[in-house]
Amino acid sequence: MSRIKFEISNLNLHYGTTQALKDVKVDLPENSVTAFIGPSGCGKSTFLRCLNRMNDFIPGCRVDGRVLLEGTDIYAPETDVIALRRRVGMVFQKPNPFPASIYDNVAYGPRLHGTTARARLDEIVMQSLEGAALWGEVRDKLHSPATALSGGQQQRLCIARAIAVEPEVLLMDEPTSALDPMSTARIEELVRELKTKYTVIIVTHNMQQAARISDLTAFFLLGEMVETGPTQDIFTSPVDRRTEDYITGRFG
Amino acid sequence: MKGRIFKDRLATAVLWACMGTVLAVLGGILVFLIVRGAGALSWEFLSQPPRDSMTKGGILTPLVGTVQLVVVAMAFAFPVGVLTAVYLNEYAAEDRFTRLLRLAVRSLAGVPSVVFGLFGLSFFVIFLRFGSSLLSAGLTLGCLALPVIVGASEAALKAVPQDYRDASYAMGATRWQTIRKVVLPAAFPAILTGGILSVGRVAGETAPIIFTGAAFFTPDIAKSIFSQVMALPYHVLILATAGTNIEETRGIQYGTILVLLLVVLGITLAGVIWRARLRMRSTR
Repeated sequence: MSRIKFEISNLNLHYGTTQALKDVKVDLPENSVTAFIGPSGCGKSTFLRCLNRMNDFIPGCRVDGRVLLEGTDIYAPETDVIALRRRVGMVFQKPNPFPASIYDNVAYGPRLHGTTARARLDEIVMQSLEGAALWGEVRDKLHSPATALSGGQQQRLCIARAIAVEPEVLLMDEPTSALDPMSTARIEELVRELKTKYTVIIVTHNMQQAARISDLTAFFLLGEMVETGPTQDIFTSPVDRRTEDYITGRFG
Repeated sequence: MKGRIFKDRLATAVLWACMGTVLAVLGGILVFLIVRGAGALSWEFLSQPPRDSMTKGGILTPLVGTVQLVVVAMAFAFPVGVLTAVYLNEYAAEDRFTRLLRLAVRSLAGVPSVVFGLFGLSFFVIFLRFGSSLLSAGLTLGCLALPVIVGASEAALKAVPQDYRDASYAMGATRWQTIRKVVLPAAFPAILTGGILSVGRVAGETAPIIFTGAAFFTPDIAKSIFSQVMALPYHVLILATAGTNIEETRGIQYGTILVLLLVVLGITLAGVIWRARLRMRSTR
């Protein structure tokens, strides 16, 4: 039984007067892959963004409830949000490398937090690119523009960039939905490796993907977390009727 | 069916004609100036100050003066303008106050240059006691350039995809770090365009500098920021209206305008090349 990384309870989120998340309660275990599934607009990405407080940037967004990262509430007023985002990294749906070299992209995070020594940065860049299964393809062109890479490579670069700051948790918001099947397969393989070092939480609208790579699955519907449990159980014997309907494709 | 194709061809022809007109006007002005002014150009013209009540000699002092004015103006207007745009686009909430601020900046663009001159006189020359000087004139010209720079910079910052900011914040960057390391570098080529455009405006203006720092004649180029300067557009104005030999100095007048054009063209070209290099470095 692994440790619990995130303990969320009574989480409610409002955009102005609209309620986007209703009373969400879930525990996210360490060093495993948890998948959030559900139809479009059900709140899974919104919930993901609560975990690194990226929703703070949305004006009029109000979060109530408890989100404990290893026992500490990340919404407590004295929280160092910058430090939080270093511990909890994020990879977005559309690959978004900076318009700079591959090296500068990966070195961005470490440089932010004070690392300037060239040798150390070289080391971090190499390790991060290896960790993202991209090193072999780019080792000879580290200083060429990141935007010249293919979509799948760019996404792996974004993963390398995220792990360069040595986070504990990796939040992935539909990371393969903009990619072709081959790149998708490579990244899914990568996710399975990443969970040995990080806690991975992945939002996906592709149920088969969730079934393939996750240990725990949570089903969201209309802002509510309907059911959560080991992936096998969710997909073979769901408890809630709504989960079953979604899994079997009656809607979604 | 034929009607549509005809209209399409007509539209294309009209558009080409419009472009042709613009080119013709531009070309006409250039040809006119080159024909009338090229004769006056020489190394001596550029390196010698005016002599004999400015009927002979060169335009060294006005040339250096114009360059100095542009430098002072841009040293003030560029950082202030860009940072104002950063505030408006990255920090300010979208409320009534911000809209008012934007309106104020845009309105500044419509203010006639002579009004800037009077403002510069009251504020820089008299109130701040800078006197009639390079500093006063440069700052006045800077005020003129501000709305152009703010406008171009704001557009440039808006064009930077939100994706970049998201990625930066998600790695634990503060807002200023994100602006300094990601947003500004990405927006810089377009910001530079605003700077380039305003250089042309600043170098050619006469009214703002008449009351604030331009002199009829200075024996030497300005060595201090509190000295007066000569300037190319003002030099032409004097020679053509108040000089001692208006007709005889025509050649010098045209030559001076040509030099002004070449200076602005030169700075613009340098800016364009710099911008092209920046763009090449970040994308392919």
